[in-house]
Amino acid sequence: MAELIKVIINGQDFQVEKGARLIDACRENGYSIASFCYYADLALQASCRMCLVRIEKMPKLQTSCTITCTDGMVVTTESEEIEKARRGMVEFLLANHPLDCPVCDRGGECELQEMVFDWGDLEERFTERKNYAPEKFLSPVVANDSQRCILCKRCTRVCDEWMGEDAIEAGGRGAHTVIGTYGGWLNCSQCGNCIEVCPTGTLLDATYRHQTRPWELSRTTSTCSFCSDGCQLSVGSRRGEVMRVVARDRYVNGHNGEFLCIKGRFAHPFVNHEERLRTPLVRYKKGGRLVPTTWEEAVRFAAQKLQEVKDAHGGSAIGVVGSPRLTNESNWALLRFARDVLGTDKYTASEAFSLAPFFENLSAPLATHKDIRHAKTIVLIGGEPEELQPLTGKQVRQAVRNGGAKLVIFNSVPIRLKEQAAQFVHIRPGSEDAVVLALASPGDAEVAASKLGVEADEIGKASQIISETAGDVVLMFGGELSAEAQSVVAQLPAAFGEKEGRRFLLHPLPLFNNSVGVHDLGLMNGALNPLEILDAAGSEVRALYVAGGFLPAHLEGREGALSRLDFLAVQELFLTETAEAADVIFPAASFAETDGTFTNSDGLVQRVRQSIPPVHQSKPDWAITSQLASALGTDLGFQMSSSNIFLDIAHGVPAYEGLRYPLLKDESKPVQVKHALAGRRDVTAQLAELRRALESLDENAEKITETPPVGHELFKLGVLTSKVPQFHLLAAGNPEPESVLVSPLYQITLDPGLRREAAAGD
Amino acid sequence: MSIITEVIENTRAIIKGMMTTVSYIPREKWTVQYPDEPVTLQPRFRGQHLLHVDELGREKCVACYLCAAACPSDCIYIVAADDPRPAEERTGVDERYAKVYNIDYGRCIFCGFCVEACPKDAITHGYNFELSVYSRADLLKTKDDLLITKQKQSPNYRVAFSDEDVDSEYKEV
Ligand code: SF4
Ligand code: SF4
Ligand code: SF4
Ligand code: FES
Repeated sequence: MAELIKVIINGQDFQVEKGARLIDACRENGYSIASFCYYADLALQASCRMCLVRIEKMPKLQTSCTITCTDGMVVTTESEEIEKARRGMVEFLLANHPLDCPVCDRGGECELQEMVFDWGDLEERFTERKNYAPEKFLSPVVANDSQRCILCKRCTRVCDEWMGEDAIEAGGRGAHTVIGTYGGWLNCSQCGNCIEVCPTGTLLDATYRHQTRPWELSRTTSTCSFCSDGCQLSVGSRRGEVMRVVARDRYVNGHNGEFLCIKGRFAHPFVNHEERLRTPLVRYKKGGRLVPTTWEEAVRFAAQKLQEVKDAHGGSAIGVVGSPRLTNESNWALLRFARDVLGTDKYTASEAFSLAPFFENLSAPLATHKDIRHAKTIVLIGGEPEELQPLTGKQVRQAVRNGGAKLVIFNSVPIRLKEQAAQFVHIRPGSEDAVVLALASPGDAEVAASKLGVEADEIGKASQIISETAGDVVLMFGGELSAEAQSVVAQLPAAFGEKEGRRFLLHPLPLFNNSVGVHDLGLMNGALNPLEILDAAGSEVRALYVAGGFLPAHLEGREGALSRLDFLAVQELFLTETAEAADVIFPAASFAETDGTFTNSDGLVQRVRQSIPPVHQSKPDWAITSQLASALGTDLGFQMSSSNIFLDIAHGVPAYEGLRYPLLKDESKPVQVKHALAGRRDVTAQLAELRRALESLDENAEKITETPPVGHELFKLGVLTSKVPQFHLLAAGNPEPESVLVSPLYQITLDPGLRREAAAGD
Repeated sequence: MSIITEVIENTRAIIKGMMTTVSYIPREKWTVQYPDEPVTLQPRFRGQHLLHVDELGREKCVACYLCAAACPSDCIYIVAADDPRPAEERTGVDERYAKVYNIDYGRCIFCGFCVEACPKDAITHGYNFELSVYSRADLLKTKDDLLITKQKQSPNYRVAFSDEDVDSEYKEV
């Protein structure tokens, strides 16, 4: 607990923490203070002058957003003088602000509107001509109306401090200052956070532009369905259509604050996309056509076929494949289906890599994103969070920039985050495992260093930073690590030992929204992994029941596998590569149409809530599974309610014990599951394996010297992102259109052949 | 009461009523002979809405949804859209226009709040009041029924001049 000091606000004594900012102190104690430019956790700006207060013994009114409370400070927040100053400021802010609220997309949730309501005058005394500039586009997803700007510079600060992009800046002088970009076109990661934090309608969501108005939307707090960061967001829908996704703090208060990345914010149009599967489809004869049918018929046919395979070859000839995209509830239903209905141990999830070895040897708690922000040392082995887990990237950047943390990066690619690093160790491609070995056993460091292609003392230096840390050390690792290396990383905290004041936290960087969830439920502990299941297709595995599709990476080189099956049932949103090979396709509901939970990379279980009714005839994945189970004669006992399934999970999975939906209600207090800590384990076998692997590393491998461009992963087209026209433009290199006054979508015709597959298969 | 007094009472009542009726016959007639003759409407009469256009024929509505927000019976439905064409070719006066604009006259209570709310003077009450239809679904009027350039006006009314006194209710008879 920090030291308390006394502050007198409006004649009343208050105890506040030493070092507290005056504006926060006043607000916490019930005195509202107007502000535009103040934004917690961003550098101070003090340009709007709305937060003026009178402080005794100080000349003139002071901006409370820049003042740190001192003992015995006497503050007045309400007086005639202050009101006059505020009214004057609002009048100035409006001097050049157009009166176009009816066509402004921010109208109805605009901070300037609210401020004018409180502090504005009915009459305008300025009679001069206002500055005029037409509304224009800064990128396929960001629109800009420069005349509405009040120059609070929240946008430029988030762009710089959160995203490290510095893509948007103020230019010009005096009354002609406008927010703009270098060269007029934004070539950044297109996160749209500048749009989110803008208090006015200056920066606008170009995908939602002129679509509807904020009060027309019903808002549902939910969890992002793309990466493993699990951002909390608010889905705005109208008449069964998802119109936009925001994280504005008046609607949702998740661990990500107002942060979202391009996928979370702009990739939602897949939900109502016209290519969504409409009805169940059945292929009665191999090689025949897929015909639309009713749910009853599709379920009957699938049950009959599965029963036939079961009777002929036994239940274990049927494989069940879940997906790290689906909710815990849907995956649990699949697992129960595999175990209780089919009696097979061939279940898995279409996951890029398994975290099982990591969790088995876990010797320190998982770091939440808040922990990352306040960590003192962050070690990143492999991975590229700015592209694959953007919130983690932002937290790391802020930890360094605003929190003074030391960042140590081991990567074969000079990723953008290295600009923030205290130490960047540029290793050879594919040698991430060797880094783990060198950190865990200093005796091997020298050999490893030569194989990694780094100076001998670089690893020692990194180890030293870790051991000298007072505070939190967060160890992060990407998907490059082998199973053995994962086990060793999980044991690294134990290897470094205890030190007063230092705490180790671990943070895996899986690719999907529910990667940790599928692992927790035990779906990854089946007899075969996705690749092995595909390899066994037609021999050991005669039939498959797949929820979601296999990743492109799984199917590569195994194209024929699915057609060797006697029977394939798939539940999907779109006719994907996996679905095309299916004998029965069930249309599944997307994250916006189901209730459930996702577990993110912090181990936070967060609610997914239904925002719109299932589109067309689709059904939630777990509902399809239980229907199929009933047709096979087993009632899974879910009574068609996702909360019942979650109850079942809480009973069946130790880490989720005691959790219920009502406990997950408040997104601002996320609940972390209790992953069992393994304590100190013997990892000599794994270390030996790593040493063996080290031998075979090529000492002459070329290093990758080029920093990959922004968006090389983020903008890639996958099953979901390819449904968003703007992503096609970005994937094609974000060409600047002829005229910025009209959306580039209307101006640039795209080559349909530019489809690229995302690493995460989004 | 005996039957005789009852007969006398009733007869007197009938005679009294008939005398009133008969006394009105020679007086001036006030009944409006609608629809044979057009009715005269007050200038501020609130009839079917009109969506207005500017001098170039572009719709004035910018799809701000304020009318829908103000509507107490929730009968206005709008779908806003973007019109990327150059200003002269646009459907509306602004880049933003109403792709769909429906009023459900099954619900409208002709309160005029939408007109009050409109920042663009795009919607007003017209004088058309003949809204009866054979099917309830036909009470849903779309932009094609509401636009001033498209709405068919009934021949059965005329609008009073503002200084014209048409209010028979308050007339000395
Ligand atoms: S664009 Fe918005 S966030 Fe940026 S300075 Fe202007 S008003 Fe502030
Ligand atoms: S960072 Fe991850 S969870 Fe957050 S919005 Fe982006 S994809 Fe979604
Ligand atoms: S208030 Fe006026 S401009 Fe706004 S939607 Fe209604 S008619 Fe159109
Ligand atoms: S909030 Fe203090 S000057 Fe803007």
